[in-house]
Amino acid sequence: MWNKFKNSIASFFLVYCREFKLVLHDQGIILFFAFLPMAYPIIYSLIYNPELVREVKMVVVDHDRSQISRELVRKLDACQEIYVRGYAADMNEAKRAMHSHECFGILEIPEGFGRKTGIGEQANAVLYSDMSLLLRYRGFLVASTNVMQEMSAELQLQKINEVAPLAATISSGDLMSVNNIAMGNTSSGFDSFIMPGVVILILQQCIILAVGMAGGAKRANPRLIGYVGVNQGESVLGSMLGQMLCYFTIIMLPAIFLVHYVPLIFSFPMAGDFWEILAFLTPMILASICVGFCLQSVCSERESVFVLWVITSVAFLFLSGLTWPRYAMHGMWRFMSDCVPATWGVEGFIKMNANGSSLAQVRPEYISLWVLTGVYLVLAYVVQRWIVYPQLWRGPKEAASVKN
Amino acid sequence: MKNSGLKAIIQRSVLQIVRRPIYWAGFFVLPLFCFFLLAGLMENGLPIKVPAAIVDRDGTALSREISQNLAGMQMVEYAESCESFTEARHLLQEGKIYGFFMIPEDFQANLLSGNGPAITFYTNMTYFVPASLLFKTFKTTALFTKAGVAMSVLDAVGAESAVALPASLLQPVNITVRGLGNPGLNYAIYLCNSFIPCCLQLMIMLMTCFSLGQEIKYHTSIQLMQMSGGSIVKALFGKLLPQTVIWLVMSAFMTSWLYGWNSYPMNGSWWWFGLSQVMFVFAAQALAVFFFGVLPNLRLSLSMCALLGILSFSIAAFSFPIESMYGAVSIFSWLMPIRYNFLIYIDQALNGIPVYYSRIWFVAYLVYLIIPFTVLWRIKKAFVKPVYTP
Repeated sequence: MWNKFKNSIASFFLVYCREFKLVLHDQGIILFFAFLPMAYPIIYSLIYNPELVREVKMVVVDHDRSQISRELVRKLDACQEIYVRGYAADMNEAKRAMHSHECFGILEIPEGFGRKTGIGEQANAVLYSDMSLLLRYRGFLVASTNVMQEMSAELQLQKINEVAPLAATISSGDLMSVNNIAMGNTSSGFDSFIMPGVVILILQQCIILAVGMAGGAKRANPRLIGYVGVNQGESVLGSMLGQMLCYFTIIMLPAIFLVHYVPLIFSFPMAGDFWEILAFLTPMILASICVGFCLQSVCSERESVFVLWVITSVAFLFLSGLTWPRYAMHGMWRFMSDCVPATWGVEGFIKMNANGSSLAQVRPEYISLWVLTGVYLVLAYVVQRWIVYPQLWRGPKEAASVKN
Repeated sequence: MKNSGLKAIIQRSVLQIVRRPIYWAGFFVLPLFCFFLLAGLMENGLPIKVPAAIVDRDGTALSREISQNLAGMQMVEYAESCESFTEARHLLQEGKIYGFFMIPEDFQANLLSGNGPAITFYTNMTYFVPASLLFKTFKTTALFTKAGVAMSVLDAVGAESAVALPASLLQPVNITVRGLGNPGLNYAIYLCNSFIPCCLQLMIMLMTCFSLGQEIKYHTSIQLMQMSGGSIVKALFGKLLPQTVIWLVMSAFMTSWLYGWNSYPMNGSWWWFGLSQVMFVFAAQALAVFFFGVLPNLRLSLSMCALLGILSFSIAAFSFPIESMYGAVSIFSWLMPIRYNFLIYIDQALNGIPVYYSRIWFVAYLVYLIIPFTVLWRIKKAFVKPVYTP
């Protein structure tokens, strides 16, 4: 019993050390472990770095041509969201501009707009928005609501003074102010919204791709890849843990870069405690390594991971609840999203990083991650013991014959 | 040799696909999984019933009325009741709510005495979509409340005539924003039309490079070249034609599922949009062949396709407009076929405008069909003398 225990500890360390050599000799795995987590977040953040959608082009069709309609257009143009490209003579001209992709919205001010405000009727204008991108629509909506409110308040005050000259003395200025405060992502920027989630997803995918590729390398013909990728000791669990620790050591640096330096470089929200975040992400990294071990069952060659796993990034992005919140998911999709380590990783990391939650406040996510780690560890053991190992026993013989 | 000619190459290629499970996964299982995930996940169109909270520090008739108005709104659901700002903030940090509406102490009293109290609402913008929906609901409610207050102030000063013109008094100027083509702001319509073809593009490129690279890896390309009589065009054509057919069927299935069965907006001509989908498949395959020619190595060409295929989801500007990106970044948008597919979708399906305005995007597809010819000689070299580098 004691000897068996000693042996497994010895094989654990042996595997741990040998695995470093194997990883460092494999350009493909290094690419996933080092290049991907370093380069991807930078490229991604650069794409979205302008954060806000400003100055969306709009064309105006003004059938009214009154002082108040001009004021409306001026005020819209002054908003950061809208840029008034110019006036069109009629709707046909405006449509032509929109079809030629010269503007993304048309403001139509009907005849009698100014007169209506004068005689105390409601004056209506319509803004037709292109719906290809919701951020443009959102810009139009926010700007027009603000302008509408401001102009309405001015006219309201005038009117109140007309019907009841004393009212102004009761309330000087605003009757009741309405404020909005954006929490977490205080600038409401797109980059700050999407990237903190995406970095966690990148972390998970890098690990799984690398471990999957290592599995392919194990099972490939050594003559093809130029070295023996097999590094399995007597004990299945011992070698698995040895490899896990090796991958964990390697990914530590990229992980710190991802969760600390990427937000620092691009000034994303950083309200969390660094050490608590690392403690939170530990089970996610371990669970991802175990998922990688499971993936090895279907990776019969090194390149299989590209075909089998790259596309899942898109699926996991949506399952994580970053864009489509998890409370609105249906049963089956929700369950699937529960099974992905990155779902909990993204949720917890966003709460800690952007909203400043403590580790205690993300308890449900943290517990789920440890549960997933346990489940995938068992699953990984089963996969390694009954699928990968039996195939490898045939492998070394072949490798030995190559050497001879 | 009997076993040669285009027909034999096609037969060989079909057999290769049928025999290996990884091809089944790459051609059918994974694209269909992503398709059904994207189309099924967002079935409802909008994530309504956003969990939120009201912090009522006033506890008067007026504040309760505001709470009731808020609770009646379609978009929100009041999951929790809180007594203080701190409590609400903790709920928000724990992710139980996405925002809260704060009615301060002595709200009613201050309002009636003209002290101008403030209503503040907080939205957690780290979750963009639910927070935007909350923002809209909260703002509407706050504005209605304000209008009601204005009415009662007028009432208080004895202006009875005010009752005669409520609409114009509450909102003298109104701007209605109309979303063309997607009036219900359906999130599935917004996302699926770009993300699903982009998934398809990624898989087309990966599978093209994978299947070509396999020939080199297992040195079967020599046999392929013998079968084609040394013609690389014939070899590639025979090799890729069965895949083209598979992708066209997949694309047709997805298009008909979305625009036919699920009635996604199709305001233009099916023919032009269909043509675009067909040319898109050709373009993606051609681009992959080009990458394979530049890097005739299984792993590197796959890495290249994976990198650009995944980046396409962002760089092709499905969510963040291209004119807002940095100039040096946005030019890369035009490299990928999906960009043209997306633009044609906007013009021909969503907005249904004359095809004249999208003519250039169709021409762009043609360019993709030409570029592989510039690197054919490299593929030929690699096929004749296959060297596998891991």
